[in-house]
Amino acid sequence: MTVDGQLPRWEVFKQDASSKAHAAVGSVHAADAEHALLMARSVFARRPSAVSLWLAPRWAVHEFTREQLAEALATPGTQLAAPMRYRVFIKSSDRRSMAAYEHRGEVVASGTSAALRAATPDELPLGMWLVEDAAVIASAPADAEAWFAPASDKRYKQQSEYAVSVKRHPATREGT
Amino acid sequence: MTLAPELSAALVERLTAFADDELVLGHHQAGWTGHAPLLEEDIAIANVAQDEIGHAVAWLELRAALDGSDPDRLVFFRAASDYRSAWLSEQPRGDWAFTMLRQYLFDAYEAELLARLSASSYRPLADTAAKVAREELFHLRHSRLWVERLAHGTDESRDRLVSAVAVAWPLMAQLLAPLPQDAALEAAGITYSSRDLEESVVAATSAELVRHGFALPPFAPVPAGDPRALRTEHLAPTLLVMQSVARSDADAQAW
Repeated sequence: MTVDGQLPRWEVFKQDASSKAHAAVGSVHAADAEHALLMARSVFARRPSAVSLWLAPRWAVHEFTREQLAEALATPGTQLAAPMRYRVFIKSSDRRSMAAYEHRGEVVASGTSAALRAATPDELPLGMWLVEDAAVIASAPADAEAWFAPASDKRYKQQSEYAVSVKRHPATREGT
Repeated sequence: MTLAPELSAALVERLTAFADDELVLGHHQAGWTGHAPLLEEDIAIANVAQDEIGHAVAWLELRAALDGSDPDRLVFFRAASDYRSAWLSEQPRGDWAFTMLRQYLFDAYEAELLARLSASSYRPLADTAAKVAREELFHLRHSRLWVERLAHGTDESRDRLVSAVAVAWPLMAQLLAPLPQDAALEAAGITYSSRDLEESVVAATSAELVRHGFALPPFAPVPAGDPRALRTEHLAPTLLVMQSVARSDADAQAW
């Protein structure tokens, strides 16, 4: 635990089906990698559908807005760091259903500025995350049966499924 | 698949005990909703509570197929004295250390139990057990994680866990003790060997706790005859809360 009492933050990437890419769904705070995985499953994969989770500690996620990408591409890069592998996530739309950062592939580069040069498509995306591959943890394929399969057998009731008629009490109408 | 009447009656008793263990435990764990030490754990423990209550429903539906009982009536309108829950489940919610230790002991018990029930000669029981077993694997990983971290966390977390072990461990004896009718089920291949189950659960859980440096107190004495004949003083107040909404309008069509 850090001095301010906050546990470290982990970004969570969920894969909805084996044919789809992992996409950022949010974050959890957790004490360590194993705890983070279990929290991510509880928070993001309780309901359908998920087949795999990736997590990365916040410090291993390098974020770039479209403006930052444009600026970085216009600046001569320096290559001081040793080569490392990054997982590349792209945000390509502002539409609510498609706004997530989606996994598009990997790149090996010396530092983030070299990595984004190699990974940025011709048409600038709305944003890019470079995630240090060595820091990524993933749910194990063997866990899928216990972690993700039970959700697909469950019936989740929407509010509308309860045949409750809402009648306002007269007092609440006069209240204000 | 029909069972002989005496086997059916014995299985009704067994299923009721399974259901009550999960229902009462699930109700206590649900009490953490909005109060857990971390937002993420708040969601996680609510999931666990829902799962346990869902498993209670599964056992009561198996019972319903045998005796035509109504699961909702059994849960919300049965007197505390007619419940068959284990003392371990009936203990109050306690602190987070007690919560996770009790959950761990229960999850470890269920892992062994469900593996055996999945091989039951009574097909509906085997099928339900195999389904329930999947979720329990995740529960066990979660509760075991907390026991390990609290054991090696701070002085306070360890002290709290020591107190939890002192309360929870002795009650394992009653959780594992066979009901009077279990021998008939065992002989028919419907359930497992109670002795073998007890040995496996005690071996697994004691090894884990001893690994973390805990000294285990002796088991509490189990009443002769029916080990579940008596309830602890904690159950009646728990049911008063749990059943209050249903009892406030017994004929409600939806709630």
